[in-house]
Amino acid sequence: MDFLQYILAFNSESPLLFTQFYFWAFFALVYALFALIISLPFGKESGLGSPYGKLHLRNVYLMFVSWFFYYKTSGLFLLILAFVTLSDWIIAGRIKSAISNHKPQIAKGLLCLSVIIDLGLLAYFKYAYFFTNMVNDLFGTGFRVFDIFAYIGNGFAEAGRFSVDTIVLPVGISFYIFQVISYTVDVYRGRVQPVKNILDFGFYVSFFPQLVAGPIVRAEEFIPQLYKPFHLSRRVFGIAVFWILNGLAKKIIMSDFLAVNLIDRVFNNPLLFSGFENLFALFAYSLQVYADFSGYTDIAIGLAMLMGFYLPMNFNSPYKSQSPQEFWRRWHMSLGRWLKGYLYIPLGGNRKIGFGTYFWLSLIAFVSAALTNWWWQILVPFALFMLVVAVINTAPFRERWGTDFYKLLYSNLNSFITQVLGGLWHGASWNFIIWGGINGIGMIVEKIWRKMNWHLRFLSITILTFGLMALDYFYGLPVWRLFLVWSAIIWIGTAIRYVYWLITQDMTINCQLSIINSQLSKAWAILQTFTFITFTRLFFRSSSNLDPATANEVAWETARNMVNQIGGAWNNAIIPEFLWAYKSVVAMFVAGMLIHWLPTNWKRRYRLAFSAMPLWLMVIVVCLAIVVIYQFVTAEMQPFIYFQF
Amino acid sequence: MKPYQVLIFIACVMAGLATLCVVLPGRIALGATELKWPALTEVLGIQKTPDTIIPVDTIVQLDTLLLPDTITQQDTLIQPEQPLSPAIAKNDSIAPQKEDNCQLSTVNYQLSESDSRIFLRTFYASLSQSGKQVVRVLHYGDSQIEEDRMTQQIREALQNRYGGSGVGLMPLAQTIPSRTVKQQLHMNGRQIQPAQGPRRFIVYGPKRDRRDDGLYGVMGQVAVMNDSLVPGSEKLMAVCTPQDPKNRYTKWQVLADSAIQYSFSRDTVFLSGKGNVYGLSQESDTGLIVDNIPMRGCLGLVFTKMDSAQLADFYREQNVRLIILQFGGNAIPFNETPSTIQGIVRGLRKQVQYLRMLAPEASFLFIGPSDMLTQIDGVWQTYPMVPYMDRLLQQMAQDEQIAYFSLFRWMGGSGSMAKWQETGLAGEDGIHFMRSGARKAGNAVAKWILEGMENE
Repeated sequence: MDFLQYILAFNSESPLLFTQFYFWAFFALVYALFALIISLPFGKESGLGSPYGKLHLRNVYLMFVSWFFYYKTSGLFLLILAFVTLSDWIIAGRIKSAISNHKPQIAKGLLCLSVIIDLGLLAYFKYAYFFTNMVNDLFGTGFRVFDIFAYIGNGFAEAGRFSVDTIVLPVGISFYIFQVISYTVDVYRGRVQPVKNILDFGFYVSFFPQLVAGPIVRAEEFIPQLYKPFHLSRRVFGIAVFWILNGLAKKIIMSDFLAVNLIDRVFNNPLLFSGFENLFALFAYSLQVYADFSGYTDIAIGLAMLMGFYLPMNFNSPYKSQSPQEFWRRWHMSLGRWLKGYLYIPLGGNRKIGFGTYFWLSLIAFVSAALTNWWWQILVPFALFMLVVAVINTAPFRERWGTDFYKLLYSNLNSFITQVLGGLWHGASWNFIIWGGINGIGMIVEKIWRKMNWHLRFLSITILTFGLMALDYFYGLPVWRLFLVWSAIIWIGTAIRYVYWLITQDMTINCQLSIINSQLSKAWAILQTFTFITFTRLFFRSSSNLDPATANEVAWETARNMVNQIGGAWNNAIIPEFLWAYKSVVAMFVAGMLIHWLPTNWKRRYRLAFSAMPLWLMVIVVCLAIVVIYQFVTAEMQPFIYFQF
Repeated sequence: MKPYQVLIFIACVMAGLATLCVVLPGRIALGATELKWPALTEVLGIQKTPDTIIPVDTIVQLDTLLLPDTITQQDTLIQPEQPLSPAIAKNDSIAPQKEDNCQLSTVNYQLSESDSRIFLRTFYASLSQSGKQVVRVLHYGDSQIEEDRMTQQIREALQNRYGGSGVGLMPLAQTIPSRTVKQQLHMNGRQIQPAQGPRRFIVYGPKRDRRDDGLYGVMGQVAVMNDSLVPGSEKLMAVCTPQDPKNRYTKWQVLADSAIQYSFSRDTVFLSGKGNVYGLSQESDTGLIVDNIPMRGCLGLVFTKMDSAQLADFYREQNVRLIILQFGGNAIPFNETPSTIQGIVRGLRKQVQYLRMLAPEASFLFIGPSDMLTQIDGVWQTYPMVPYMDRLLQQMAQDEQIAYFSLFRWMGGSGSMAKWQETGLAGEDGIHFMRSGARKAGNAVAKWILEGMENE
């Protein structure tokens, strides 16, 4: 009985994770029944009294399997998943009817209702602490969160069964809420037909490989697959196995090893480590977060493929990006596409700005003022800025300044909002908002930078560097020192390229020199983008996995301490000592980055070579790979080493 | 491919791995390296991976302190992994780690002869003078007390009860920030980072940062203003702002050579001249002053390298009546055998003897290491030497007649750090407390000291 309970009941301490044996045993059993259903001797048009026959049976089966998976991970939060499934299915159906009956206002109202319900649930579970703290900070009140669902639950169960004092975030809610929103909006836009059977729809919402951490599958990408028969080519099978192994290796060999042996220690207590160690940990974190997240989605994509479903690509070697904008096209692509389709474009994209743009910008300014307590310092310049934007957005100016300028303006404003709200989606902490904001500003600065000519670029970076030198000299804060060093590095790169441009602008240069210049420029852009993204992670990592009640304070202090260490307590003398003591961590980081930067063609080639292996050889390779991966699961942690000041 | 073919593939992989589990369970030597592979029973969860994490409640009952004389007999016989017999009687009143404040127990009891707080009697007696003069407590420790962790709670508890204010000693250049006092350093009119300030020598630092004459001051670190190796003149201004308003605008004290000129203005100290600065202190004229002196990475074996006359003068002149030593944790990750641990404890004993010689009026309290975890075979476990070191330190304390607080046992014994991690009290390194954990531990030590006074 105990064993059965262990297998079937929810236990918050043993969720179903892709890295555990239990999950793979679960998957093997699920697949056995799946194979049986697919092999049933009746076709699409017959059997079981359903219009879709075994496809429907397959979908229903996978939905219940997915619900079990979610129950094992999140327990009774399954009810939330069931609720949004039901709610969006019903509303989307009504929207379709309203549109068919030429009642667009009703359809719009229903869409708003659906979005309010979905985002309301997300806000409740994810942002309750954030908003409570903000209200308390603003008005000096002492409100505390109260979990109404736990209160209701206690009415049904015995009193005190659920704690009403804390609100626990259901696993994966950010992902599936976005999925159901995409469905309802796509139905409203007429891009997909409403799913007739709620169980089919339930399968789309809860498909277990991507349920808890994405990729976020948009309705128009997945709904058509519900009605397609199973098909898995030999090559796709090989690729699927490759993705699964690749994901496991990324997660266990790269991500966990780096985290346990260095990153967690440093972020936990940055003051124990020198500036160099903090900086190294920050760069290593950039790799870790990529390996972790993309590892998960690699496995999800591979699993879905084995069942004949195709999930969208979620990462495309993001650290090969040459600009922040490109980075966001390569990183967490399913979220980027979602935000673009359901936030950036509705805000106006690069075509216009409207009420939404003004509203969100004002809200961001207000929140920033509240955060920093710099009310007039932020709100006055912001009001002036908004006034200028409103004035230049009038017809006479538009005619005079041309489309390009306005495209840049609209696109920058709307993408800044998208980035900040995208940051907030990641978690309820000021640091995530700052993280999003920095990404937004980075994208804007980079776009403007690219539009500048070389004279202007050199002039602006020179002014910036001198400004930072002055700030560093007079105020001596680590943050200025940090910016100064970075700015000086960019200045050197810019100066070299500026001189090159000055020399070569009026002469014909030979092809080889031009290629070298282009390759060096590319490498330089990749390095700068990687560095920029890494520094934004300072705020990202500091906010992750924190108790929401204290997240703001702890996250901010961690980020500040790391900046202080990087900008202040550098200590060159211990660098060789550190590199030697942490040689395996350093080697892992270097190897990880080198693999990441391998040309895409090479990666494609070895992927195809793997998929073309004879099956018997593939079995052996998979077994050997798992043995190697296991060595890292059980790797002994390196002893904690102190480096004295 | 047909689904059944995929299923056969999955089955073959699983069969292959299961065969390995049967054929090659455990560790397989492969040249210089060692491969690990689990047994089938382990994979299926029939036989769980050995997990030394024992529920805290069990440990608190089981892992009670040894009678000192029992330890004497068993000292060299104790094996690190050997469980303690419940029959070995409880003899100390370190409470299980439940309290998170310094509220004293209302139950009174007499300190028994076997309660190590009996060795704090001289300190307890000196507290009666706190209304008229300063009674000083020095808290030396490793990184566990950095940022004024733990010391802050001890200070607050003692000052609330026996008067006094001020944060006590701080270095001239605060390279590691403190939770209780923020410092800004200005040199020749511009703000600088601590590392940009005067040359520092640190007794617990690497060789390049040490000096031969042993003149490190009471904090074990000294800043040398206008050092001949650093060109240019240094005029320093240190703005030190205690975070607790009650500690602001207390008296300043500068521990420095006579060649250093200094003046004060509220929370700011101005220094000029050439010579050694051993530290600054913000403190009241009377009452308890509790100094936080963290020594990162230190084993606690450095006091004998510090100038004896300088230390003795300070201890006498500043009426140091309690010296708390909190060391031992740094020995754990790098010493895996009982004999090396014994060697370190012998070294610590010498330090205690040395300090007692210099501060004959002072009582001593030794706080042992906390529980510390390492990952072995993928499982977080207590370093095998932690319980052993804890016992040896307690024995050493008993022999030297000083008080001993077992942080390890107070936390709950072996594996308790994992529980602390789960509740956010300890960091992910399995070694350091988070701020909340340090507060809890600091309160426990303060309460333990004060209850000893109440029942003395």
